[in-house]
Amino acid sequence: MDVAFFENLIDIFAVAMLLLSMLAMASSRMLQLIRIFALQSLMLSILAFIVAVYSGNSHIYIICVLTLVLKVIAIPKFLIYTMERIKIEKEIKPLVGIPGSLLLSAVMILIAYIVAEPMIDSLATIGSNCLALSLSVIFIGMLMMVTRTMAITESIGLLLMENGLFLGAMTISYGMPLIVELGVFFDVLIAVVIIGIFAYRINRTFDSVDTIFLRRLKE
Amino acid sequence: MMFNIELVLLVPAITALLCLVRSKKEIAANISIIGSCVGLIVSVMLCLPIFTDGEVYNYGLWYMDSLSALFLMIISFVALMVSLYSKGYFDFERKEGLLTAKYESYYYFFLNLFIAIMLSACVVKSMGLLWIIIEATTLVSTFLVGFYNNEHSTEAAWKYLIICSVGITLALVGISLVYASSIGVITDTSSALDWPILFAVASQLDPVLMRVAMILIIIGFGTKVGFAPMHTWLPDAHSQAPTPVSALLSAVLLNCAFYSILRFYLISEITIPGFAGTLLLIFGFASLIVAAAFILLSKDIKRMLAYSSIEHMGIIAIGFGIGTPLAIFAALFHMLAHSLTKPIMFFTAGNIAQAYGTRDMESIRGLKEKMPYTAFMLTAGTLAIVGTPPFAIFIGEYLTLSSAIDAGYWWMAAIMLGLILIIFAGFVLHIFPMLSGSTEKEVHEHKSIIRALPFAILLGATLFFGLFMPDQVYDCFEMIVEKVFGGIL
Repeated sequence: MDVAFFENLIDIFAVAMLLLSMLAMASSRMLQLIRIFALQSLMLSILAFIVAVYSGNSHIYIICVLTLVLKVIAIPKFLIYTMERIKIEKEIKPLVGIPGSLLLSAVMILIAYIVAEPMIDSLATIGSNCLALSLSVIFIGMLMMVTRTMAITESIGLLLMENGLFLGAMTISYGMPLIVELGVFFDVLIAVVIIGIFAYRINRTFDSVDTIFLRRLKE
Repeated sequence: MMFNIELVLLVPAITALLCLVRSKKEIAANISIIGSCVGLIVSVMLCLPIFTDGEVYNYGLWYMDSLSALFLMIISFVALMVSLYSKGYFDFERKEGLLTAKYESYYYFFLNLFIAIMLSACVVKSMGLLWIIIEATTLVSTFLVGFYNNEHSTEAAWKYLIICSVGITLALVGISLVYASSIGVITDTSSALDWPILFAVASQLDPVLMRVAMILIIIGFGTKVGFAPMHTWLPDAHSQAPTPVSALLSAVLLNCAFYSILRFYLISEITIPGFAGTLLLIFGFASLIVAAAFILLSKDIKRMLAYSSIEHMGIIAIGFGIGTPLAIFAALFHMLAHSLTKPIMFFTAGNIAQAYGTRDMESIRGLKEKMPYTAFMLTAGTLAIVGTPPFAIFIGEYLTLSSAIDAGYWWMAAIMLGLILIIFAGFVLHIFPMLSGSTEKEVHEHKSIIRALPFAILLGATLFFGLFMPDQVYDCFEMIVEKVFGGIL
């Protein structure tokens, strides 16, 4: 199999991840959002597998399996569990409506391409096209954190950002040193658990997980 | 080597576990004090050979030079002060029924764990692991910020967790770009993020990638340092956390985040000279301006102190941004001075808040009569933090200003001086009315040796560095500038 084949394959999955990010911005139900996140993680896991086969770096297989176990199965399960435990409303009420969100996402993608453009020549790897895609996923994740007000949607925004980050690391440098990647996974897992705990606390203190109530600290 | 790096990290970690041991008496506070005493002794023993013989430890996961040693000593010292103050502070809270012994032992567990993680940030070799550790500091300290578990502290903790996590994710993008720029230069990819290796090949790294990487890294870690405009978590977290934790966040955590920026700054100043310095100057001045404006407007004493931390981080960033040997010396010294002075202010604010039951400066009056000792410390601390002689902060600010003038940045020095004067005015306007006047409230000063001890030590230390800088200490700072920053000057 030649390089062009792998390049196309990687691009396909990277584009799929970006499209899922857009879909996440357009979704109005919590459960749907969690499923989109799981699906995007699955794409990331497959992409890791392809990169591992192509580059021959055996430690990327570990990343592939970890993504599958943690991000496709464990974290979505935990999020759904938290969601049910605090019995929140299943509707997402965004600060910016869905058409507006999609328009802003398009702006984010544009910015990502402008940022990535000068760097593409410096990258020698087969996935250099993916730099702009990964930055887009990261920026859209940030957008989700800013425009959605529920504790759990904010945490999904963070997770989407992390997916974009792994997409970038995987394609521009075939991953990072294994110990670093394991540490990042561990941190993400802990972060999600802590976010879950705090979502529960916010719910108990404010009778809502809507972080719009968290506007009381002012000068 | 008897006092090795692992030991320094193990002492607070073991202390943390011991604090969880349940017993009939409240012993967690004492365990924490003893643990941080031992921790301070061990880190001084570890750091001495570095300062006297110029040794560099580089083995396993760890790398330690004189820059790491400075940060390590600051952390261990402030940790001991915070442990001492915590005892008096939580004794009162327990008597008032604000918290149970069980929660107190949780507090000491998280406190010591937090200290252990911050210590490891300064000695770790791989920049990837450094990122993981900085993120871990956020995760652990979220519990400390949200410790009171009421609406305000939950809000502050949530903001802190989310804003810092987002910021730091951007920093990781930057780090992965640094890693990408080292491909082809470093053959052994598993150690490609190790600082000494990266630093050795810094001139061959790809400048285009490094440029974008540095922007992301300074924004990312800068979020944790509290640079404006990413500072929004900082006043909330500092004002809502228990006061000893506020002191720890302000005097130590911000330094740790700054340390991570410095490591990348050192690499990038070789690859693309002047770029990271310019970024630090921009963020430094932005922070100074925001801090000056909000100090004038603030009502809550702890929020005002939080903005003052932003101000001092800004001054330090300006020092590194100017980047002459004198400016770097000034910035390093200012970091030490700030870490010694800021806890005094937070501790007095804690005493006042406990006695008056409010942090609103308008409703605190008559301190001089009701709490003479705290009033004295507040006056001394205020003079120290705004940079009047003979306190250490004055030396730091004076050196930073004169290095700016030496480097030919007259306008920079002028703006900085103007902003520092505004902040001076803000502090005087808010703090001194609290001393006089009278209050209807029943106010009692809580006097005890354990409460007075950290004040005395910290005030002594800041006066000591302000009045007589011993040659040995001067040489230590000179050595850091020469050995660590020598490559970029």
